[in-house]
Amino acid sequence: MKEKILVVDDEEGIRLLYKEELEDAGLNVHVAASGEEALAKLEKDKFDLIVLDIKMPGMDGIEALRRIKERWKNLPVILSTAYHHYKQEFGTWASDAYVVKSSDLKELKTTIKDILRK
Amino acid sequence: MGYDILSKVIELTDSTEALEKRLKDVAYLLIHSFAFDQCAIYLLDQDKKVLTLAVAVGSKRGCQEEYREDEGLPGLAIKNGKPIFATQSKSAKELWQGGLDKGTNGFNTIVCYPIKDDWFHGVLYLKNKEKKTISIKQKRLLGVITLQLATAIKNYQCIVNLRDINTKMKDMQYRLVNAEKLLALGEMAASLAHEIKNPLVSIGGFAKRLSHQMSLDSPYMSYVDRIVKEVAKLEKLMDGIVHFSKEEGYAFSSEDINSIIEETIAFFEDDFKKNEITVIKELSLNVPKIDVDRQHLNLVFNNLMTNAIQAMEKGGRLTIQTYQEGNWIVAEIHDTGGGIDPKIMSNIFNPFYTTKETGTGLGLAITHSIITNHKGIIEVNNNIGVGVTFIIKLPLAGKEGRILEAS
Repeated sequence: MKEKILVVDDEEGIRLLYKEELEDAGLNVHVAASGEEALAKLEKDKFDLIVLDIKMPGMDGIEALRRIKERWKNLPVILSTAYHHYKQEFGTWASDAYVVKSSDLKELKTTIKDILRK
Repeated sequence: MGYDILSKVIELTDSTEALEKRLKDVAYLLIHSFAFDQCAIYLLDQDKKVLTLAVAVGSKRGCQEEYREDEGLPGLAIKNGKPIFATQSKSAKELWQGGLDKGTNGFNTIVCYPIKDDWFHGVLYLKNKEKKTISIKQKRLLGVITLQLATAIKNYQCIVNLRDINTKMKDMQYRLVNAEKLLALGEMAASLAHEIKNPLVSIGGFAKRLSHQMSLDSPYMSYVDRIVKEVAKLEKLMDGIVHFSKEEGYAFSSEDINSIIEETIAFFEDDFKKNEITVIKELSLNVPKIDVDRQHLNLVFNNLMTNAIQAMEKGGRLTIQTYQEGNWIVAEIHDTGGGIDPKIMSNIFNPFYTTKETGTGLGLAITHSIITNHKGIIEVNNNIGVGVTFIIKLPLAGKEGRILEAS
């Protein structure tokens, strides 16, 4: 049985890239374009892990993270963002991991595998 | 006669010539007017506490280059704050025989007059082979002359200090303007960076997927490879722009600077081959680890090597050295790309300044800012027609910090 993950990002290009790359890595990948859409999907479906963008219009990743961890305390969340320094600015202590976006998805894949293995 | 000499001294010391020339003119005047064989003027370095020979005219015999503040007759004149007049006689025997000042050997009359007004500036040292008496009138005249010399020296030093302050102020002004430019750049970068990074990740990521699906012998493989590589460089540049204005974005950890350099060299391996650049590594194995932000320092070497590669399009030699120098870890990057046009030297660290068609003008501005954020120093040695050496000095401050913590 493939592990099911949800990629949340407002950028279509990122959603497409992550979906294809992570599916090639053997995962069942679903996508959401906003924090609101992600929460709606989580209500209906059960996921093993979330990859969550921080900067999104409407409900941003930090607010979505807070709500997800309130409802689904044990659901792992990886925060994904464009630049390293947002880590300091936003305080991402509540997430399980933090990955800076890159055209090289090695780090993201390794992080996902490490968390799912636990 | 006294009045004539004095007015001549005033005329000479008030001239617009360099100080050394003025002192020399006065010294010549004195050996002729007072009939001495040698006249030397020593200037006192208040910090180093030494008297250094500024000018010497006439016989050069026994004319010492330097006296410590407590050494010899010049030292004694400073210590007592009074002139020494002596001739080889019983009463002054100790001056010669006591080894107090070897410079008196072969002379039988000496005058050692401190040059002072409200503080000491140096010593006027006159020597004569023959015994001779110096009249009270002459002694008084020498007193007025040394006072005039003191004024000239003091004025000269004031001008030097003023020039120094002026240079420092200009430098500070330049830094301030530069800091403002960087701040504006940082704000602009932050708003743009997010919009640019996401499409970049998509382009690079999909180009990579494309390359995985192409057969290795496809003629388009090199195109896709180019896209992947260029995107990787752009991503690095964007990371740099976002980071360099924000010190809080730095994550310091104990790193081996050699391994960061090796990593960057490996990144450019293809470019070195293409441009026929020989890379010479002289990395000291004894360089201790220091607290740096690995990503940022990577960017520094990336920028410097990019510049070097562009400067050596027709081949050359890139020499990279690391070593420890006191409390600094030093990395030198030397190319043989012909050097930088001296007209643009003062601009090279300015953001948006570029001479390259495709340049952003950010490489060296970012490099400078990263090194500054590491409390380090970056220096440029420009050897026109030969090449450039960038010298990066990073402090061993982390180590000091730990020592303080331990105590």
